[in-house]
Amino acid sequence: MTTSSSYVMGLFKDENAVVSVLKALKKSPWKLHRVHGPYPSEKILHALKFKKSKVGYFTLIGGITGLLTGYALPIFTSVQWNLIVSGKPIVAPIPFFVVGYELTILFGVLGTVLGLLLTARIPEFKSLKLYDERCSGEHFGIIAACDSDGVSDLMAFFEQQGGEVRRFEEPAPEQSTP
Amino acid sequence: MENTANLTPARIDSIVLRTLTPATRTYWYTVALLALGAFIGLCCWIYQILVGIGVGGQNNPVAWGTYLINFVFWVGIAHSGTLISAILFLFRAGWRNPIARASETMTVFAVMTAGLFPLIHLGRVWLVYYMIPYPNQRNLWPNFTSPLMFDIVAISTYLTVSALFWYTGMIPDLATIRDRAVGTRKKIYTILSLGWTGQFEQWRHYVRGYLFFAALATPLVISVHSVVSWDFGLGVVPGWHSTIFAPYFVAGAIHSGLAMVLTLMIPMRKIFHYEEIITMKVLESVAKTIILTGMIVGYAYLVEIFIAWYSWNPVEREMFWWRIFGDYGVEYWIMTICNVFVPILFFFRKIRTSIKALFTISILVNVGMWYERFVIIVGGPAHDFLPHAWGLYAPSMIEMGIMLGTFCMFFMLFLLFVKHMPSISMTEMKESLAHGGGDDHE
Repeated sequence: MTTSSSYVMGLFKDENAVVSVLKALKKSPWKLHRVHGPYPSEKILHALKFKKSKVGYFTLIGGITGLLTGYALPIFTSVQWNLIVSGKPIVAPIPFFVVGYELTILFGVLGTVLGLLLTARIPEFKSLKLYDERCSGEHFGIIAACDSDGVSDLMAFFEQQGGEVRRFEEPAPEQSTP
Repeated sequence: MENTANLTPARIDSIVLRTLTPATRTYWYTVALLALGAFIGLCCWIYQILVGIGVGGQNNPVAWGTYLINFVFWVGIAHSGTLISAILFLFRAGWRNPIARASETMTVFAVMTAGLFPLIHLGRVWLVYYMIPYPNQRNLWPNFTSPLMFDIVAISTYLTVSALFWYTGMIPDLATIRDRAVGTRKKIYTILSLGWTGQFEQWRHYVRGYLFFAALATPLVISVHSVVSWDFGLGVVPGWHSTIFAPYFVAGAIHSGLAMVLTLMIPMRKIFHYEEIITMKVLESVAKTIILTGMIVGYAYLVEIFIAWYSWNPVEREMFWWRIFGDYGVEYWIMTICNVFVPILFFFRKIRTSIKALFTISILVNVGMWYERFVIIVGGPAHDFLPHAWGLYAPSMIEMGIMLGTFCMFFMLFLLFVKHMPSISMTEMKESLAHGGGDDHE
């Protein structure tokens, strides 16, 4: 967690420039807070060395739950009335597979949405305080944290790298890029 | 030809955001006209509820008329949206990016429209909850071995999944609009975008989640129209009871959906000046795919006839002879010509690069696909095993009114969407541009 009180954002149009700034920032005394961008650049994602997203586990759990529900519901409801319809057995695995198949997909998607909301931490509006609107256009924004004395040095660093600079006065937010 | 060389992320934003500026009077007159059409449909439905289902043309032996025809038609239209957004996403087909959002939107509204028809066809619509498996005193449950219950499960899954897929894909673009809006609009888009800031911590989960969405939507799109086809294929009715129905319906669904994509994209491209983004190359790619689906559909038509002849089953042979040369022969030939022969014209580059030809052929394919559903759904029960029970069907004015209403509702919803939401995925276009696919989206 960051304890510094000042944040500076360097804005770059080129994803390759962002990658080189991130490398330079690692060797500097300043701490990388987070990176914003208008699209998911693979180069930047690679440079940030993130761990594998856990969204897939939610999808898997959702899918398995869906398959089990898709079989459990027709079986449970069929045995309530032991009535043979169209010559099929009371518990008919083949027709019930259709229900199982559809619910696997439905619950898998619902699990994915839940996973996405939890892992990406949305909805969340506090981050908008430390954000530049150009980052949804054509700029990538690198936010770094520093002591209040080091702000000018950090701003100079981003300028040297060819970026536009923005200083934030807001209080320190909680999350930071690992 | 359009010039795409100047396409930059800022230019993409500018083109798309320009479509969200306050609408002209012509736009609102068009919306009002479509709302009137939808209102006429609603009035017809209310009249049917008050008087009874008999005001429709459905009767013995044809109990499934335009309500089921339109149901299958709209579910079919919905399919190409998912094909473009999910299947082509997995295949990394760059030409899908400019039209993915509008196609997904088409999917959501088409499934919504389709979902109305079983309710309308039910007559006593307030009893629809009988189809829902809920604990009840009498311990009565729906029959899960019935293809109609398969359909309920499949269509509700499809609506939920396509709506979530559509909205999830739109979140980064809603944030882009939020960042350029002011006042109340900014507040609305802030909520709609869920506070998205495009942090790479968010992107890494988003990219993964979107991939799973696409991976799950792909088998879903195949299954849904297969399930719809089993509403007919599992019935012991000549002309319906066929094992090829599932792939035949899926191909037909994509065929009609792609045609509707052209029908919607071409005016949208012209009105919103999207020529730089939805290039001729993109429209050509849709046209080429229509050639493929048209040929698959044509093959299915031939196989049906061949099997009827080869099986030497007198009922099947009579059915198909009557289908081609009987009372609904005109409808059969409209279907065949529009769905199989007309799309072959797309083999000629001159035709598939002509906006007028693309638009006309797309309309013809839509007409043909509507008639395909007419020929299949009405034809079977009208001419089944018992000659003394044969009979013809024609839709009543009430059915026509409801059909008009639902078509108007669909186009009205689409029109409202394109003026208030991003009709092109700015994020995907920027990503495509960064990968060097900005010019012709190959």
